[in-house]
Amino acid sequence: MFPRPLPEEKPLQRGLYVGFVALILILWLLPLFAVMLTASKTADEIMAGQYWTWPKHFNLIENFQAVFAQTNMWGYFINSLIITLPSVLLVLVFSTLTGYVLARYNFKGNALVFALFVGGNFLPAQIMMIPVRDLMVSVGLYDTYLALIIFHVAFQTGFATLFMRNFIAALPDELFQAARAEGASPWQTLRHVVIPLMRPALAALAILTFTFVWNDYFWAIVLTQSDAVKPVTAGLNNLRGEWTSAWNIVAAATLFVAVPPVTMFFLMQKHFIAGLTMGAVKG
Amino acid sequence: MSHVRLIDIDKYYGSYHALKSVNLTVDKGEFIVMVGPSGCGKSTTLKSIAGLEAISSGEIWINGRNVTREEPGDRGIAMVFQSYALYPHMTVAENMGFGLKMAKRPQAEIDVAVKRAAEILRITDQLDKRPKELSGGQRQRVAIGRAITRSPEVFLFDEPLSNLDAALRTQMRVELTTLHQQLGSTMIYVTHDQVEAMTMASRIVVFNKGVIEQQGAPLELYHNPVNQFVAGFLGAPRINFVAATLVNLRDGVAEVALEGASTVHVPVADTAGLTNGAKLTLGVRPEALKIGDVPDAALSFDAQVRLVEQLGRETVLYVDAGPLAAIGSESGTHNFTVQLGTAAPYAAGQSIKVSARAADLYLFAPDGKAVNRPKLIAASL
Ligand SMILES: Nc1ncnc2c1ncn2[C@@H]1O[C@H](COP(=O)(O)OP(=O)(O)O)[C@@H](O)[C@H]1O
Ligand SMILES: [Mg+2]
Repeated sequence: MFPRPLPEEKPLQRGLYVGFVALILILWLLPLFAVMLTASKTADEIMAGQYWTWPKHFNLIENFQAVFAQTNMWGYFINSLIITLPSVLLVLVFSTLTGYVLARYNFKGNALVFALFVGGNFLPAQIMMIPVRDLMVSVGLYDTYLALIIFHVAFQTGFATLFMRNFIAALPDELFQAARAEGASPWQTLRHVVIPLMRPALAALAILTFTFVWNDYFWAIVLTQSDAVKPVTAGLNNLRGEWTSAWNIVAAATLFVAVPPVTMFFLMQKHFIAGLTMGAVKG
Repeated sequence: MSHVRLIDIDKYYGSYHALKSVNLTVDKGEFIVMVGPSGCGKSTTLKSIAGLEAISSGEIWINGRNVTREEPGDRGIAMVFQSYALYPHMTVAENMGFGLKMAKRPQAEIDVAVKRAAEILRITDQLDKRPKELSGGQRQRVAIGRAITRSPEVFLFDEPLSNLDAALRTQMRVELTTLHQQLGSTMIYVTHDQVEAMTMASRIVVFNKGVIEQQGAPLELYHNPVNQFVAGFLGAPRINFVAATLVNLRDGVAEVALEGASTVHVPVADTAGLTNGAKLTLGVRPEALKIGDVPDAALSFDAQVRLVEQLGRETVLYVDAGPLAAIGSESGTHNFTVQLGTAAPYAAGQSIKVSARAADLYLFAPDGKAVNRPKLIAASL
């Protein structure tokens, strides 16, 4: 299933391959590069229309200082953490439970319940926008942290259940029979056998969910209004002025917003990759 | 006293009838081996005893208690799986102590039990390793150790040696038999390997298509198979079968005609349902076939050696008897298998005469039932 390595004796193919990879990487990283470039410039330079030139005056530090001094980014950042961390935790807990039951217990309606979890992922956000907003307004949660937490947990648990169910289903059956024969209750089996073996999958899922929730912009603007609860994504939008925008500061703030997911990925990348390839190489 | 009892067990997987009215009584301390071809319901029976599969009807008793509705952990059983089923994230000691830990026993007690089991299995120096650092044989020992730690009433083994190589399998076979003598526990052991069955069992139970065909001591089954299936399943090399037609039945002796050989006289005990012209099957084990003239030979035919297997202490010949064709022979041909207890200088192409005595012949009715054996052997033993 993996591409076979190109042989040494075909330099043309090798050159093409490397060139192509480089091209895609450049295209992929270009926006990020542009943001970094912009964050390093002064406002004057950008106003002068010099978007792609190397910064004449390196202004990164000052721009970051401006983000914290002049904007509410720090507040938005805290809001994002308050929304994202509980969401990720709850998604992990719920999807471990649902995944375990759906993977290991053959009850009537198992397939239907699983299909509902999976099918929910395919609902376009635009269809849900009005009903979810109305629901949150009517239960009095509109424009609160809970509105976003509840929605993200409900929505992400669908995908996460698919993910966890498939990993748990791939564990050998005899492991569960052995645990049962030794008198382990379903809870004990979950705690002492399933969760330790699912650690890489949980790490991968944690990163994915964290990134989804942290980067969400759509629901942030649908379900929140006041600066006191807005997460960073919606907050960034506030930095755009009515007529002009300080793009250098917006770019610096954008880099700041990207820090948590990137840090999280680097911290857990070993587990993440182990988690994504777990099914392929059975231990 | 009966220790494990299966009473009229039926098991359906959906509409598939996997176990058909299975009855089995196991005494305390017995080593029962369940054998049968793949898919005959051995694992299903074992899992039913363990409680890992719910039975469709019937009762299971262990140690005087009806455990039919009990959870596996409450039945007093321990099971060893073919794939070992060790928890990869736990050390050997943690694996072995898992059951006791789940039962919330004090750590000191767990340590003592693990140490004792590890000593019995000589894996004391492996206790801190993880399963993936162990060889196949060591993993198997850990799996057995995990069972011992819980001091169960009954040990259940599901083909525990089939993932090991031949040399290790022989060694573990001996070790398991020794372990059984040492612990004196009741053991129920599933295998499709008839050598394991013959060597380890105090009693063999032969399964076929969800039914117990026969049970008894290994040699009893070997010498007195109740039907053609059991005769064909036990014994390596396999027994030779040949089609026979009943031509005359008189004074407890059946005269049967074989294609391409003279008629054969076989003493029969059970003549129920036998009529002249019935299509029977004659069986003769490879080691019962002799080369050359045998005094009072009941069966003899001329044949040509096709293939010789020299095993050092014994010689196995595959011989072609022309129109006298063996049915379903091991070599996939119509050749007869002859097993000689010595190194014999035969070569392919050689013409020989093959004979067998009447006492070594088996006769099976059209429905596969043995018609001559039980009384005959009882008399000659
Ligand atoms: N979980 C199951 N669902 C459906 N059929 C099964 C299941 N387990 C076993 N069977 C069927 O029951 C029969 C007996 O299986 P098993 O007891 O595992 O055989 P074996 O004697 O090889 O151990 C086989 O035909 C098998 O296909
Ligand atoms: Mg089996």
